[in-house]
Amino acid sequence: MLAVLHLPINENLAQGHGPLFGLQTPTLAKGGVDFNAAAMSMGTSSDESYMLRYVWSYGINEDLQINLTTPTVINRLTNPPRTRGMSNMPANGDIEASLWYRFFSNAFGVGKRFESTAIIGASAPTEERRGETLVSNSIHAAISTGYASRIWYAWLGGGYQYYFEKNNEQLGDLPYGSLVIGYRPDIFMGDYPKPDWRVFIESLAEFPGSSKSETGVQAFDHRGKKVMAGPSFLGLYGAWGVSFGALFPMYQGIDQSLPKEKYRLSVNLSYWL
Amino acid sequence: MKKLSIIVLLMGMVINGANAQLLKVDQAVYGMDCAPCAYGLEKGFKKMEGIEAVKVSLNDGIAYLTLAPENGLTLRKIQETVKSNGFSSRSAKVVLKGVLKQNENGWAISMNDETFLLNPDTENKILSALKPGPVKLKGLVMDQEDNRPASQWKIRISEIIL
Repeated sequence: MLAVLHLPINENLAQGHGPLFGLQTPTLAKGGVDFNAAAMSMGTSSDESYMLRYVWSYGINEDLQINLTTPTVINRLTNPPRTRGMSNMPANGDIEASLWYRFFSNAFGVGKRFESTAIIGASAPTEERRGETLVSNSIHAAISTGYASRIWYAWLGGGYQYYFEKNNEQLGDLPYGSLVIGYRPDIFMGDYPKPDWRVFIESLAEFPGSSKSETGVQAFDHRGKKVMAGPSFLGLYGAWGVSFGALFPMYQGIDQSLPKEKYRLSVNLSYWL
Repeated sequence: MKKLSIIVLLMGMVINGANAQLLKVDQAVYGMDCAPCAYGLEKGFKKMEGIEAVKVSLNDGIAYLTLAPENGLTLRKIQETVKSNGFSSRSAKVVLKGVLKQNENGWAISMNDETFLLNPDTENKILSALKPGPVKLKGLVMDQEDNRPASQWKIRISEIIL
């Protein structure tokens, strides 16, 4: 129950201390527990969604983390755009369980490390139909690699979500990629336990596939392209973290039957138990 | 002379048993970039029996540990805690007391199933002052490979306190 506006933590450390919308790498310490509660919204040309989301994360060991996220949907879009899996899905009221495996980590200096994390997850929808299509369970896989230091951060990742067929109908798949650059200004370089703030520029590229209607045919035969970008901010103090941010469309090459997005907003509160 | 040797031996046995221990450890930690990282590590150390005080510095990349009297902690346990929090432990500045012994491999101090072997780059003036028997000293324990937490360390002694 940790994500909603944000993803689980970490990290180790997470550890919930990364970007809000993009893929990240930190995992929790062995035995570490993190709780995230988030409020998120998505605006389209015709409607707005509001949702709360909760994410619980647990560190099996320092490189392996399990997550469970559940939503409370306040207002659901009637015809939602496809958004990626995991916790950052303001148009997607799925319940999701996921496993993060940090398969590479190289801490090579004070505060500095390179690391890579693989993610697999399975989701169950909380609604019967998403737009005009019956929605079924889905699986999600992603991989992310990144650099962290006391000043600069960068994460690059990509993933794929696949929805299973239900009664001859099927939501289109969703390949996506994310790039995040982070920076901590000098003024926030105070040592622990002083508050720790950082700013991110996040970008997300999504390529939603066409859904299959009840007749078994695809609504359109090309893959959409969407690029979103925007700022997010993360503040950390002791066991608490707060992050907030927004993504705005830079490019939307999608079928005319799908709504165009105006924004994605997220506010996330993290607590490391 | 024989009596003196027996006394030294008995003192050594006492110190090597109940009193041989780490007293202070400044453990270098790599890869720790944020407040929750420091919070998690601090919490991990506070759970360990035998640690009296913990201070974690993100900017220095060091966990400053003061150990309780009569603790049974080892540097290996300390470095395992760093690893289980997802970070990399490196060199450690330590204050320890134990029994200094000399064998064919040089000087060594054993305590709590760990052995600290004197590194050859220790200054000559310190080398010349070494004597077998109980000792309290400051030193730098050299960096070790993370994936194989050691029970044998190399130490460069910087000061003999007792």
